[in-house]
Amino acid sequence: MSEKKMNLGKVFMNGVITENPTFRLVLGTCPTLAVTTSAINGLGMGAAATFVLLGSNIVISALRKVIPDKVRIPSFIVVICMFVTIIQLVMQAYLPSLYESLGIFLPLIVVNCIILGRAEAFASKNPVVASAVDGVGMGLGFTLALTLIGCIRELAGNGSVFGINLLGTSYQPMLLMILPAGGFLVFGLLLGIINSLTNRKKEGAK
Amino acid sequence: MKATFRGGVHPAHHSKQPTRGLAIRDFVSDTVQIVMNMNIGAPSKPCVKKGDHVKIGQIIGEPVGGLGLPVHASVSGDVVAVDAIPYITGDMVQSVTIKNDFQEEWEELHPLGNVETVDPALILPAIKNAGICGMGGASFPTHVKLTIAPGKKCEYVLANGAECETHITCDDRLMQEHATRVVDGLRAVMRALDVKTGIIGIEDNKPEAIAAMEKAAQGRDGVRVQVMKTKYPQGGEKQLIKVLTGREVPSGGLPIDCGCVVVNVGTCAAIADAIIDGKPVIDRILTCTGAVRSPANLRVRIGTIAADVIGECGGYSTDPGKIFFGGAMTGLCIPNDSLPIAKSTNGVVVFTKEEAVSAEEDPCIRCGKCVDACPIGLNPYDMKISADIEKWDDCKKKHVMDCMLCGACAFICPARRWLTPSFKIAKQKITEIAKKEAAAK
Amino acid sequence: MSLILSSAPHVRAKDNTQRLMLNVIISLLPCLIAGVYYFGFACLIPVCVSVVSAVAAEFCWQKLGHKKIRIYDLSAVVTGLLLGLIVPPSAPWWMMVIGSVFAIIVVKQLFGGIGDNFLNPALAARAVLLASWPALMTSGYNVGKFDAVTTPTPLLSSASLMDLLLGNVTGAIGETCKIAILLGFLYLLITKTIRWEIPVITLASAALLGWLLGTDPLTTVLSGGLLFGAVYMATDYVTTPMNSLARYLYAVGIGVIVVLIRKYGSYPEGVTYAILLMNIAATLFDRIPVQRIYGHTNAKKEGK
Repeated sequence: MSEKKMNLGKVFMNGVITENPTFRLVLGTCPTLAVTTSAINGLGMGAAATFVLLGSNIVISALRKVIPDKVRIPSFIVVICMFVTIIQLVMQAYLPSLYESLGIFLPLIVVNCIILGRAEAFASKNPVVASAVDGVGMGLGFTLALTLIGCIRELAGNGSVFGINLLGTSYQPMLLMILPAGGFLVFGLLLGIINSLTNRKKEGAK
Repeated sequence: MKATFRGGVHPAHHSKQPTRGLAIRDFVSDTVQIVMNMNIGAPSKPCVKKGDHVKIGQIIGEPVGGLGLPVHASVSGDVVAVDAIPYITGDMVQSVTIKNDFQEEWEELHPLGNVETVDPALILPAIKNAGICGMGGASFPTHVKLTIAPGKKCEYVLANGAECETHITCDDRLMQEHATRVVDGLRAVMRALDVKTGIIGIEDNKPEAIAAMEKAAQGRDGVRVQVMKTKYPQGGEKQLIKVLTGREVPSGGLPIDCGCVVVNVGTCAAIADAIIDGKPVIDRILTCTGAVRSPANLRVRIGTIAADVIGECGGYSTDPGKIFFGGAMTGLCIPNDSLPIAKSTNGVVVFTKEEAVSAEEDPCIRCGKCVDACPIGLNPYDMKISADIEKWDDCKKKHVMDCMLCGACAFICPARRWLTPSFKIAKQKITEIAKKEAAAK
Repeated sequence: MSLILSSAPHVRAKDNTQRLMLNVIISLLPCLIAGVYYFGFACLIPVCVSVVSAVAAEFCWQKLGHKKIRIYDLSAVVTGLLLGLIVPPSAPWWMMVIGSVFAIIVVKQLFGGIGDNFLNPALAARAVLLASWPALMTSGYNVGKFDAVTTPTPLLSSASLMDLLLGNVTGAIGETCKIAILLGFLYLLITKTIRWEIPVITLASAALLGWLLGTDPLTTVLSGGLLFGAVYMATDYVTTPMNSLARYLYAVGIGVIVVLIRKYGSYPEGVTYAILLMNIAATLFDRIPVQRIYGHTNAKKEGK
């Protein structure tokens, strides 16, 4: 990559759709499967990750010429750790219930492959503005995916979305959906659907 | 407890053959077309030309190469054509067409006399000169099979009277009607190879043949009859050896590698004819059955056209859909009924249009029936997966080269998968690749 | 004259996929009849809904995906029927629809359709239903003849061996009457649809381990869904190993896991999970080179 002016819109959409971290790159599947038992959890996790992505991308991009190549990964991790600590403390203070339900997966953002992956693949090679846009794009893509999975699982497993009951009281919730197995099922099915849609589009383009 | 082997299938068409109880009948047609590649090895070279007059037993094709065999005229009369025709294999093959004058003039024969007293050294040349090759279908030159490589020792001569194929009953009738000839032929081979034990293996669905052979074997040195369970492919060389001697042919090896030689009973009779009467192979017994009006066991001259054989059996009973030479498990389809029969053609079977339709291939349901049926112990379903995606190397690793194409797996498969045809292609491809690699080196 | 040219063999055995599936369906009829006898005609509702929705799901999937319609091989009917027979008699219809659709679409078709699924569709669907609506799947047995009786779960009831054999106990529709299951087993054996090894070894290993752990072997075999699972579920072609020795190991595995779950697990019955677990391992078992290939040991001995 070069320092040439990039199409920032393209960089942004790249993160949201073309290289959606969850459905196209299949990165960060651990939180994807574990926390998406409800839509709000998915959204919260996504927002936290987006914040960290944005912050770490900006800082790493700014420092990209200073960080020695041999110790770049530890350096990235230190930067990421800083932002994770910030978001963790903020959440603990202002959103205690979400903090509770995300549990261990919030500090585990440190080792989330999306964040380290973007630092390595994009931020360390691109200027600050582009990196920031990439961070927001990727974060948004991640957030959308997690919220989507969370909505489906909450709707089927609890009859509600974002805590609002949609299916009425006579609905017998499908408990499986909010069990870990349901996470795998929904994730797998969505991956399959998106892959088949993309393939069809490619064939159509031909 | 009757001897048997692992795996195998029971084709239902097997026991209730209409030709089972029918005596062998002679049939001589008015034209014969004798092809020059009736045995494995280089095709023979025609040594007569159009207009020549030939006698029965006269050599009309000269052997070429180490596996070559002479070809003899099967009728007396005039040669009307020497030309190339497309044969079963799809290749063009030289053939000699003779118009029968029904004079039955014989070339002078040179009998060697009693098989028990003849000089053993004369037996193999006599077999070669009589043009004998495996009459059970393999068509491998018999004298080559009986030439034991240095360092190898033959301990058993096995006469294959299993006749496990569907539809075919000619060996059954041969053993009943010419039992002594079969034993004579077996003795000749035993004496030629200096072997003490000869076993005749017969499936238990042929009690008359067993009785006849037991009677004929009485008082003959080292010859005995062994009854085997009726199961396909009991007559496969490897299965027969396992059942009769308990030995196994090493993978990629020949029967002689475990001290055995297997000779079909039809071949035995031909050997006896060649020694006692000096008669070359000019005729053979075959079964013509299926959708013909009166199925029969016929003794026909080599080169008789399939249509004439079918005509002798009353003609087609309905529109034919498929005709093949041999039994239904391994038989070779012929494109039209104007092809002539060869030395190894043991049957002409006609299928109706309904019987001829091969079912469409369904997905494998992993029932494991093919694994249970495989007499070699292979995993046909697994080999088929690799064959379908043309991974010939993987096929080889899965031991497709040990497959003897018996058809048991394809027969039993409920999804009607074309297992055996795939393996046939795989074996051809692997052989081709190996040849290319050898050539590259 | 136009003759068909094809490669040998020219004859095929009578049994094709459809015929084998029909055999399974016929062998399940005694269980269904026994179910109706004990639980009343109402128990036909889950069974019928399950069969119809399974076939419909398969048809729609193949139609919409422009695939070859294969509902005539009857495998979807078998899946639906099996699922219908392993749920409580009062299972609601919508649950059966979800179960059948899950079995056909997710478990079977998404993995490539008949022959390619790695789990038994009916059992996987049952596991999903059990995890989703545990209350509906573990109660609702007390219908038909058992109106007045209140027994907790079928395994904990103190029924006599004779009652267990005749099916005079509560349980899933098809699983209670052991006589009917044995009749079906006999039919499958006579028609050579299945081999005897898997059911017998499964039962024997379960009985043996149960006996070592202090349960009466007959009670182990006759209670719960073990007999039904051993005869109809463990023998499902697609999800069992192909080689004979691998099949025996697979069967032993099922028997052992069933007893362990019953004895130490938190579920009262473990047949579903035992068979599903061994299903997953089936292809691994197939990798054990158990079969001796003709002529191969000789070569080794000679040091070739």
